[in-house]
Amino acid sequence: MIPAKFDYVKPGTIDEAVRALADGGDDAKVIAGGQSLLPLLRLRLAYPDLLVDLGGLVELRGVTDTGDSLVIGARTTHYQLVHDPLVAEHCGILAQAAGTVADPAVRHRGTLGGSLAHGDPAGDLPAVTLALDATMIARGPGGERRIPAASFFVDYLTTALYPGEILTGVQVPKLGGDWGYRYEKFHRTAQAWAIVGVAALARRSNGHVTEARVGLTNMGSVPVRASAAEAAVAGAEATREALNAAAASAADGTEPPADLHGAPDYRRHLARVLTGRALAAAAGA
Amino acid sequence: MELEHSFTVPVPKNRAWDVLLDVERVAPCMPGATLDSVDGDEIHGRIKVKVGPINMTYAGTARFIEKDAEAGIVTLEATGKETRGAGTASASVRSILEDRGEETHVTVRTTLNVTGKPAQFGRGVLNEVGGRLLGIFANNLAATLAEPDGVGSGPSQAGTAQAATAEPDATGSPESVSAGADGASTPAAGAEGGPNRAAASATAASETPVDDLKLPARAVSSLQRENITTAGQLAAKTEDELLAIDGIGPATVVDISATLADLGLELGRPTAATPTPTEAAASPAAAATPHTSTAREAAHQFEDDAINLLKVAGMPVLKRAIPVIAALTAALLLGLRRRVRRRRT
Repeated sequence: MIPAKFDYVKPGTIDEAVRALADGGDDAKVIAGGQSLLPLLRLRLAYPDLLVDLGGLVELRGVTDTGDSLVIGARTTHYQLVHDPLVAEHCGILAQAAGTVADPAVRHRGTLGGSLAHGDPAGDLPAVTLALDATMIARGPGGERRIPAASFFVDYLTTALYPGEILTGVQVPKLGGDWGYRYEKFHRTAQAWAIVGVAALARRSNGHVTEARVGLTNMGSVPVRASAAEAAVAGAEATREALNAAAASAADGTEPPADLHGAPDYRRHLARVLTGRALAAAAGA
Repeated sequence: MELEHSFTVPVPKNRAWDVLLDVERVAPCMPGATLDSVDGDEIHGRIKVKVGPINMTYAGTARFIEKDAEAGIVTLEATGKETRGAGTASASVRSILEDRGEETHVTVRTTLNVTGKPAQFGRGVLNEVGGRLLGIFANNLAATLAEPDGVGSGPSQAGTAQAATAEPDATGSPESVSAGADGASTPAAGAEGGPNRAAASATAASETPVDDLKLPARAVSSLQRENITTAGQLAAKTEDELLAIDGIGPATVVDISATLADLGLELGRPTAATPTPTEAAASPAAAATPHTSTAREAAHQFEDDAINLLKVAGMPVLKRAIPVIAALTAALLLGLRRRVRRRRT
């Protein structure tokens, strides 16, 4: 279908983009890779009056090493994440998860910032940023604002970004060499959304897991941390049995959605099984 | 889809009953709802649902099909059509009041049926959207019902406050807020507040900065470019003059006239910019304004914090539904072909 009529601007600087967005009011929308927004426009489920295209902002693209952490530009595509040497070295799970997103065409156009700002609980990267304790960097008329991933995702397709704010980048703390990681995704076809996804990070020492962080995809209206499982796995032996036992509490406190692909109970079961697998892979068990 | 919500309000059953039948007070309880007109038992209105980038508006009618004061049962049936699509939504809302002395227990049973694109979101999401909407409706209704005696509990006071904050804008007088429970419970009281108040408000209204009119930001900046900074200056323009301004289209003009009407002003009537108290008092339209605008402002208010979000899941679910829909269509076609063949043989 052809989208409803809208105005289009392609600013050359972030300040111009922020101003254009503010002038557009409630019915202005930012577009980056367009891999989520364009289908909504074409199906006429969204009717923005104005699209502010970030395509002209080259500075929002790429990865910068800032010492303890990496700052990844919002317009960095999934494809770039998969192939970036800094990402591979310091937060490889982001590359691994980005590699499971949809298909190559989408990965070449879709961006990290777009995926996060869209706030889809079935998207892969939100849960990963949550497990990585990343910080979102947003720019609005009032200047720059930093929002921890834990408070960024508010509800279905809704984030803590104000209407006039643009997500410009993500700051990801570097993982040390003693951390292992794994993104486990269960989906019906290769390019489908995750029915359930699990992002697990585990720190291993002397055959034990000393610390773990687990983010869950599509287990509620926002990505969530499996806190009970994280607590259970801390100090556990790095064996499949011990990790599976800890993963039994992975779905505690979640309210997964029911849809064509599975009932909430089915999703809870998947979360437990996938968390066990992801932790085992992350801890090298 | 069936939903049930229940709550208890600290007012006797007959008070609750009166409120429940007062459309102008019940309608704003529905998040995103705007009342267009009330014609006897038939109510025309719109409801706007916004979830992230997705927005849908349904326009339709609602009517009372059952009013049993004895049993305390009132049933409202509503049907609506998407304003920009082919989808439909219908709901039957049955409220049952149960007398508990000084308190009333209210049960709201809803049957909801949605077709079209939103329905393709899948059952789970629909449940969630409908459930959350009606949950908010029930909360607001509880707050509204608790209002008359001003004995609201926590959340109901919040609801009252919201409804009340809409009033100063309409009348330009903080008294109407402190008038408290009674003033708030009978919107007509604002109108009785008299011509003086309306006159004072007309002067104040024309001084209102354009910034505070809750117009789209783009419209405001366009107006400011033209050095139009107050509602009075805005009212001095005609529709054609406004349309000539870059960045202002027909939809914005409709918005502007509605906003001005709420302030008792009218496009192309520069006199309203500097009314003498007697002039405004003599105008029946100005005197009547507080009444209508109160209901309207209240509706706006609810519309604003209505459903942002919430509540629908979105593309993934929709996309995931596509194969299933395709499969169903294929099965249907196969079935039809079979039938046709059978007939031929």
